Amino acid sequence: MSGAARHAPVTAGARAASKLGRLFWLVPLLLLPVPLFLDQYQQYVANLVLVYVPVGVGFNVVVGNLGLLAFSNVAFFGIGAYTSGILMLKLGLPWWATVFPAGVMGGIAGSAASVPALRGVRLFYLAIMTLAFGELMRWVYIRWEPLTGGSFGMAVPTPSAFGWSLDAESHKFYAFLVLATAVIALTNRLLRSRFGRAFMAIRGNEEAAAAMGIPTDRYILLGFAWGGFAVGIAGSMYAALVGHLSPPSFDLSELILEFAIVMVGGLGSLLGSVVGAIVLTAAPEFFRDFPGFEELVFGVLIVAVILFLPRGLASLLARAHPALRDRYYRE
Amino acid sequence: MLALLPQLIVSGIATGMLYALVALSMTVGYRATTVVNFGHGDLVMIGGYACFVLGVNLGLPFAPAFSIAAALLFAIGFLIQRLLMQPIIAGPHLSLAMMALAVGYAFRGAARLEWGNDILKLPHPYPTATFFVGGVVFTMDDLVISGFVLLLLLVLFLLFNATPIGKVIQAVFQSQRGAALVGINVRAFHGVMWGAGAALGAAGGVLLALIVPLTPDIGVWTLVRGFAAMTLGGFGSLPGAVIGGMILGIAEKVLGFYVSTVFIDITAYLVTILVLLIRPKGLFGQQATIRI
Amino acid sequence: MAPLLELSDVTVRFGGLTAVDQVSFRVEAGEICALIGPNGAGKSTLFNAIAGNAPIQSGRVLFRGDEIQQMTPHAISARGVRRTFQNGGLFGHLTVLENVLVGLHTKVDSGFFGVLAGARKSHRTEAGATRQARGLLALMELEHVADALATELSGGQQRMVEIVRALATDPPLLLLDEPAVGLAPPMRARLGDIIRRLAKERSVGIVLIEHAIELVMSISDRVVVLNYGRKVADAPPAEVRADRNVLEAYLGHG
Repeated sequence: MSGAARHAPVTAGARAASKLGRLFWLVPLLLLPVPLFLDQYQQYVANLVLVYVPVGVGFNVVVGNLGLLAFSNVAFFGIGAYTSGILMLKLGLPWWATVFPAGVMGGIAGSAASVPALRGVRLFYLAIMTLAFGELMRWVYIRWEPLTGGSFGMAVPTPSAFGWSLDAESHKFYAFLVLATAVIALTNRLLRSRFGRAFMAIRGNEEAAAAMGIPTDRYILLGFAWGGFAVGIAGSMYAALVGHLSPPSFDLSELILEFAIVMVGGLGSLLGSVVGAIVLTAAPEFFRDFPGFEELVFGVLIVAVILFLPRGLASLLARAHPALRDRYYRE
Repeated sequence: MLALLPQLIVSGIATGMLYALVALSMTVGYRATTVVNFGHGDLVMIGGYACFVLGVNLGLPFAPAFSIAAALLFAIGFLIQRLLMQPIIAGPHLSLAMMALAVGYAFRGAARLEWGNDILKLPHPYPTATFFVGGVVFTMDDLVISGFVLLLLLVLFLLFNATPIGKVIQAVFQSQRGAALVGINVRAFHGVMWGAGAALGAAGGVLLALIVPLTPDIGVWTLVRGFAAMTLGGFGSLPGAVIGGMILGIAEKVLGFYVSTVFIDITAYLVTILVLLIRPKGLFGQQATIRI
Repeated sequence: MAPLLELSDVTVRFGGLTAVDQVSFRVEAGEICALIGPNGAGKSTLFNAIAGNAPIQSGRVLFRGDEIQQMTPHAISARGVRRTFQNGGLFGHLTVLENVLVGLHTKVDSGFFGVLAGARKSHRTEAGATRQARGLLALMELEHVADALATELSGGQQRMVEIVRALATDPPLLLLDEPAVGLAPPMRARLGDIIRRLAKERSVGIVLIEHAIELVMSISDRVVVLNYGRKVADAPPAEVRADRNVLEAYLGHG
């Protein structure tokens, strides 16, 4: 065996999954020519999908892997987006330089949001509290006018990366593809490590996890911080994409969309987060012209998924192809 | 400065009564099933719309419109619990929360489809008037809302404590297993309590529609305040819900005047976050945190 | 030299109920100490107290001479006290292998940033841990189920996996909470054998709660009997068997 010996997977499924894992880097390469085939609007939708991939990934870490009912995801998204916008507008930073800070702010917000969980608040109480936190942040966007532009919103300057203007949708695609791939790759490494296992252990049985020597507090904080970081980065992508930030974008409807992504995709499944983002981000675009219809369809969709496909699409994929069996998709 | 305090308290009481009703309606279902209905705010909103349709579109007088709206919401609440929540009751809590949230969301969409973002106002079945008593202004709305909620609370209190049905409800609240043993259909009870909660919520929705414009989005506003009141009073406590609502209503007005107007909006959020951090069981509730 | 584990007048109270009442005993390395008593005698509470899951009102718990009664469960675990749980402490969403790897958590050296960077060292540590976990499972003849989800195993197998997991880091002290529940007699015998070998060959100190009296009597070096939270006997099996107080305790509870 070579020096960096990976263990030899025993089952056929695990062997195939390992091979598939190595193919991962092929996917972004294969996607490079996509802008050649899409018109402006379709490209925008594709970019939107790439924005929501890290949202789903980050959210799933907290809600799926850690198993904590944190409804504060939208707050991280908004904080990331506004951080990016504010840094560009007030400090004149180019967009690419605001991405990491947006992630960091998201991570900090995530850590703050983990405090109730650290104090032992769980289940519905945690959900309600984090919901209040999200709404409080939205109120902050509305009220802190000098910084956020208040209810009228904030116009984000044209994004650029290393001097290369990202005005065109196709240019944004490449930048977003890099970021989304990075978030997926890093999160995957995290989840496949002892940290990811610890998250799942905490989700399964907190007491037993602590009995294994896992400092559950620290890991809960880590999970929240990572989720916030990923979603914060998605927020900065969102700012670059839509060019104008306003508080209504970060309300409860947004949260429901994000929930739909992880539920339809599969709780705790990284693959599911990606699939869910792809499937559900394009959908609202179809309902653009029918206010109310989107909400109705989404509501019914989530009800249907919970009743008939509680383990999400990832479970279907796993059943169809043992090679795609993402260990962490089970509830 | 302090001279305005009575006025603030009086207007705070009216809003507080409304919050109390909403919180109470949410607690009823929670007490019965230990599942929180995250879509409750939207049901309150639908209650308001239902009364509007019955009263304005169908021309019914207020009292029947109100009663039918409440009955309608009772049925809706009952069906939601029996058809959508009961089948997944053993599943992960996230699914329960999401199911309720999604149902509410769907209702919101339906309301928006039907009425767009038109702002509707429910016509008052009583004359608008203001009274000036002892240096404090009372509006007719204040009196009607406070009076109605007080009356409703009185009726519920009597129902709960002095009727056979009330005894049964108390018994099931105390011990579901014991109730099942003596032959009470606990599952039906769950549905009925969600129905009752929805009906009470509808009452709240109607009262709300008397004082604020009716839009599909008032559900979220209502939900957050209902939660704040329940948290303050202590989850699962019926008197706690009422007292929590009252305190919230008054606090919003008082803080809003003496400290800053921002408190009119954010008191609910702050209460929820701070109470759960500092004293999770609120005023009268039970243990809400775990120890590892 | 200090005993491996020493309880000194440990008292645990819940509200008005005294679950454990001034219990003291010692366990040496390589010793198998069984904790028996009627239902509600306080055995599980005592376990929880030792492992840090239940707060102790008074008394001391000493592990290798150091006081641990104020420590958090994960700190106590990291010191070398491992336990199994009565109602399935396996992690349902993880495979058997992953469960054992969680048991190895404190020994898997990968740092956060190393993991993110995909560093060689992290891979090597992970690979090493996986090999070790498979090896442990092989010792118990469970390697063939390594990639199955924990919930897919039979009760007996799950029990065994839990023990493997608890042993992963070679802990000096092992607390087993009713390990034989639901096991058929042949498996029980095997379990007893494994426990004896752990104690005698590896000097692991073992405290076990068990209702299967024959198992207890056949493998234990000492038996501690609890009744209503108090220690009623503390002696080798043969003596305990003949002890009046013990008989009363069990007969009294029917």
